[in-house]
Amino acid sequence: MAEVTTRDFAAASRAAVQDPQLRRAFGSAGAGFDGARRDAIDEVTPEVWEQWRQQARSIKEHAVGNLDYYLELLERNVAAAGGQVHFAADANQANAIVSEIVRTRGVKVATKSKSMVSEELGLNHVLEGQGVAVFETDLGEYIIQLAEETPSHLVAPALHKTRGEVARLFADKLGVPYSDDIEEMARVARVALRQKFLDADMGISGANFLVAETGTLVIVTNEGNGRLCTSAPRIHVGITGMEKVIPSMQDLAVFLRLLPRSATGQRITSYVSMVTGPKRAADEDGPEEFHLVIVDNGRSRLLRDPALRESLYCIRCGACLNICPVYQRVGGHAYGWVYPGPIGSIVTPELVGVAQAKDLPNASTLCGACREACPVQINIPRMLLHLRHELAESPDSQRRTASDTDALLARGFAAVMSKPLLLKVARRLGRLAVKSVTRDGKIGRSRLPFLSRWTAARDLPAPPARSFSDIWRDELSRGDR
Amino acid sequence: MTEPAPRRASLFITCIIDQLYPDVGVSVVRALRRRGVMVDFPAGQTCCGQPLYNAGFTAEAKRLAVRVLDAFDDCERMVVPSGSCGAMIRVFYQDLFADEPELLRRAAALSERVYEFTELLTEVDGAADAAAPSDDAAQSDAGADVAAVAYHPSCHLLREMGVRRGPLDLLEAASGVSVVDLPDAEQCCGFGGAFAVKYPHISEQMLADKVEAILQSGAATVTACDMGCLMHIGGAISRRGLPVRARHIAQVLDDPAG
Amino acid sequence: MSLGIPSADFLASVRDALGREAGPPAAAYQHLLESAGELELQAAEIRRRNAGDLPLLLDKMAGTAALRGWNVQRAGGGEDALDYVVSLARRLGVESAARAESAVFSAVPVDAALAGAGVVCWPAVYDADRERDAVRRRLAESGLGITGADYAIAETGSVIVLPRRGLSRLVSLLPPVHVAIVRAQDVIDTLDDLFVLRRLEYHSDGGDMGSYLNFISGPSRTADIEQTIVVGVHGPREVHLVLLDKE
Repeated sequence: MAEVTTRDFAAASRAAVQDPQLRRAFGSAGAGFDGARRDAIDEVTPEVWEQWRQQARSIKEHAVGNLDYYLELLERNVAAAGGQVHFAADANQANAIVSEIVRTRGVKVATKSKSMVSEELGLNHVLEGQGVAVFETDLGEYIIQLAEETPSHLVAPALHKTRGEVARLFADKLGVPYSDDIEEMARVARVALRQKFLDADMGISGANFLVAETGTLVIVTNEGNGRLCTSAPRIHVGITGMEKVIPSMQDLAVFLRLLPRSATGQRITSYVSMVTGPKRAADEDGPEEFHLVIVDNGRSRLLRDPALRESLYCIRCGACLNICPVYQRVGGHAYGWVYPGPIGSIVTPELVGVAQAKDLPNASTLCGACREACPVQINIPRMLLHLRHELAESPDSQRRTASDTDALLARGFAAVMSKPLLLKVARRLGRLAVKSVTRDGKIGRSRLPFLSRWTAARDLPAPPARSFSDIWRDELSRGDR
Repeated sequence: MTEPAPRRASLFITCIIDQLYPDVGVSVVRALRRRGVMVDFPAGQTCCGQPLYNAGFTAEAKRLAVRVLDAFDDCERMVVPSGSCGAMIRVFYQDLFADEPELLRRAAALSERVYEFTELLTEVDGAADAAAPSDDAAQSDAGADVAAVAYHPSCHLLREMGVRRGPLDLLEAASGVSVVDLPDAEQCCGFGGAFAVKYPHISEQMLADKVEAILQSGAATVTACDMGCLMHIGGAISRRGLPVRARHIAQVLDDPAG
Repeated sequence: MSLGIPSADFLASVRDALGREAGPPAAAYQHLLESAGELELQAAEIRRRNAGDLPLLLDKMAGTAALRGWNVQRAGGGEDALDYVVSLARRLGVESAARAESAVFSAVPVDAALAGAGVVCWPAVYDADRERDAVRRRLAESGLGITGADYAIAETGSVIVLPRRGLSRLVSLLPPVHVAIVRAQDVIDTLDDLFVLRRLEYHSDGGDMGSYLNFISGPSRTADIEQTIVVGVHGPREVHLVLLDKE
C-alpha cells in the first residue's frame, strides 16, 4: 500500500500554508475549476442539476446497497465477454494478482492511464520490483512520476507544480532543452510516451464506472492516453474499487452528465471509452486479454457502517476539493495519503486506520460547501461529525483516540453549562483570570494556555460586567407586561 | 392568505451572546418587541451543546441538549440569534437523539418551531407587509447617515438552515443601511469553533482572506447572523486596527448608525 | 483462471458488511427488467422522435460539436464532403491518410478523391499481409485519420465509434488530425438515446456488447500544467466533423 503520512497533518499543513506558490496553485485551481462547475450548472439550470443529483444518488444507493448482487452480475458478464475478474481483499492481494499476470505473461513494459486505486495500492513500486518498466501516461501523473511525488488532486495530480518546475524536471529527466512553454512541454510528453504505448505489453487503467448489466468498464478522459492504454497493448488490466459498479448501461447517462461538469465544468470530456472484454476475433485491434481487478482494501469497513456508507457513492470528481476552504489553503499532500480534501477526510481514516488519521476529520470548519458541491449529494460534514464521535467516544479503544485534554475539557464544559449557578461562578473566575490582559474591554495577545492560540491573530472581548441573563433579569424581563 | 403574524417568541440567547455580547441580545429583544412580538426568556438555559457535538462528545452534548428541550418544549416559537445554534437545534438534535425515541420525538417537535432571528423577522414583516405597507420601507434614507454594510452569510445558516436571501432582504429594506457586495461571500470565515484554536494556521489564512474581502467591499460594517463568526472576524479587525465594525444583524437593524 | 480470493468469499464478505442475504435486490431494477421487445419499442420511439426533428437535431449537433472543439462542416451531399476533405488534406499537406471502413464511404468515396489530389488514402486494416506493428507505424505516420460514425450525440457533440472488423481503434487516435463523416440518420439526441439503442443491440445480439465503444468529443486535450488548456496531447490536436445533411 502507498505510504501513509496522515499523522503529520499539522506540520505538513503548517508548511503548506506558508508556501505562497502552493497557496496560489490550489487557491486559483479551486476557483478555476469551481467557477467552471458553477457555469455548467447555470447552463443546465439548477433545477435540472438537482434532478440529476437526486437520480445519481438513487442509483448509487441502490447499487451500493446491493453491491454483492451487482458485483456477481458484473463478474458473470465480464466472463461472458471473454474477460476475467479477480477479487482482492487488500492491497497486497491486488498487487499479487497483477504481479502474477505480469509474471506468467512475460510483461516487460506497462503503460498506465490514471488510476487512484493503483496509487492507493502502490502498484508501480511492486511492478518495478519485478523488473517491469511502468510508465504513467496521463500528463499530470507522468510529471509526478518523473518527480517521484504523489498526486495532490484527484483530477489534476500535478496541480502543485509550476510550469517552471515541470520544465526543469523535463530538462533533467528527459534530456530535452529547458522550455517552460506549456504546449512544448505537452509535445515533449507526447513524443516521449508515443513509443511506450506501442512497445507496452500491458495497459493498466482505472475505472470510473463498471456496468453490471454488460460487464463494461468505463473510463472518462481528455488526453487520449486512456484510449491508448486500453487499445494498444496485448493485455489490459483494469484496477478499481468495488464500489464503482452501477446496475444498467442506461444509468451511465446521468453520471456522464454529472462527472465532467463537476470535475472541470466540461459538458463531456474529449473521450469516454467503454471496454467490454478483450478484442473479439474479428476486431482489427485491442487487447487479447482483459483482466478486471476489484479491490476491497478497507472499503467494506465503510460499507458496514451505515453512517459512512454513502462515502462509497463518490465518483472522484474533485468538486469537494475545489470548493473546500481548507484544501484550497493546504493543498493535497498535507492530507498524507492518496485521497485528499473533504472526501479524503472520510475515506482515508477508514482505509488507513482511524487512529493514525485523527486530524483529518477534525481539520474542517464543517462549513458544508462540499456537501453542496457534491454531484451525488454526499453529506460529508455529517460523516466528519460521525468520525469525530468515534474518535471521542467509540467503545473500541483502537478508535477512541481523542486526547485526554479534549475529553477533560468537554466534561468540564458540559458540567459548567449544565448548572447556571456554576456558570455564574465560572464567569466571575474567568473575568478575574483575564483581568490582567484586558485593555479597553479587549483581550489582546495572551500567553494563557488555550487563549494564546486564539489571541495570536485575533483580539477577544473580555466578558462584560453583566451577562445577557443579568440584563434580562434586571431590565428586560418586565418589557412585555 | 398569509399566516397571522407571530405574536410570541421564546428567546434562546446562545452562550457567546450571553457571556460576551449581551448588547446583541438586547438588540434582538428590542427588534422583536418593536414589531409587536412578545419575547420571553426561559430560565435555566445555557448552551445548545454544539461545541461538544462538533467535537464528537455526544454524551456531553446530550446533557446540554436535554436542558434546551426541557426549557423550550412548551414554547410557541423558539427564536435563536445564530444560524449555528439554530442548525444544531433544528437539524442536529435529531441526529443526536436518533436512537432515543422519546427525546427524538421532542427534538423533532421543537425543530418545527425553531426560528433563526432573521427567519422570524422575515415572517413577521411578511405578514405585516401583507396587511399594510411597512413604515420602514416607506422611509427615505435622505438626510440620514447611511452605513455601508457587508453581509457575511454564516455557513450553518446558509447550508444547514437554508437561509440565503432573508437577511439581505431585511438589510436592504432597512433605512440607514446600504448593502455592499462582499466578494466570495459564501466562503467560510475560518472560525469553525474549536477549529480556530486547533488549526490556527489554517483558520488564520481563511480569516485573512475574509477580512481582505471585507476591505475590498468598502463596507464600514460587516454583519452576520452569528456572533461566533463575528467574534472571529471582529477579532482580526480589532487586532489590525481596521476602520470596520463587526456587528450582529440585530444590532444593525436595531440601530444602523450604532 | 481467477486470481486473488475466490469470488464467493469476496461476495460473502460484502454481503456480511451490508447485512443482507444473497439474492437479487428487494426492489427490482427498472433498467434491468425491460425485455428486448420493450427496448425495441423505446428504440422505435427514439428513431421516430429524432427523424421528426431532424433539421433541429442537426443544428443542435453542429452547435454542440463546435463548442466541444470540432471543426464542423455541414455538407449538403457527398460532393461537398469530398471537397472539404480534399481541401483539408491539401491545407495540411498530408501525404498519407488512413481510413476506416464505413458505409458512409460509398456515398463519400474519399479514396479516389484524395488520390486525385496526390494523397495516398489507405484502409487501416490488419489483413494477413500486414503485420500489426507495421500497420501501427503507418497509422502513426499518417497525417490524417478518416472514419465514419456509428452514432453522433447532439446533447454532447460526440461521435460514437464501435471498433470492429474494418474499424481500428487507432485510426481516430494516432494521426494528428481526425475527420469523422457523419450521416444525418446516425445523429441521435441524447445520451439516454444512445444507451437504450446499445442495450437493444446488446440484448438482440445474444449478449455481445462488442469489445469497445468510444465517445469522441473534440480534440485530445489536457490542463495538467497550471490549468492551461493544450490540445493534441496523446490523441489528435485537430478534429473535423463533416455532417451530411441529407441521407
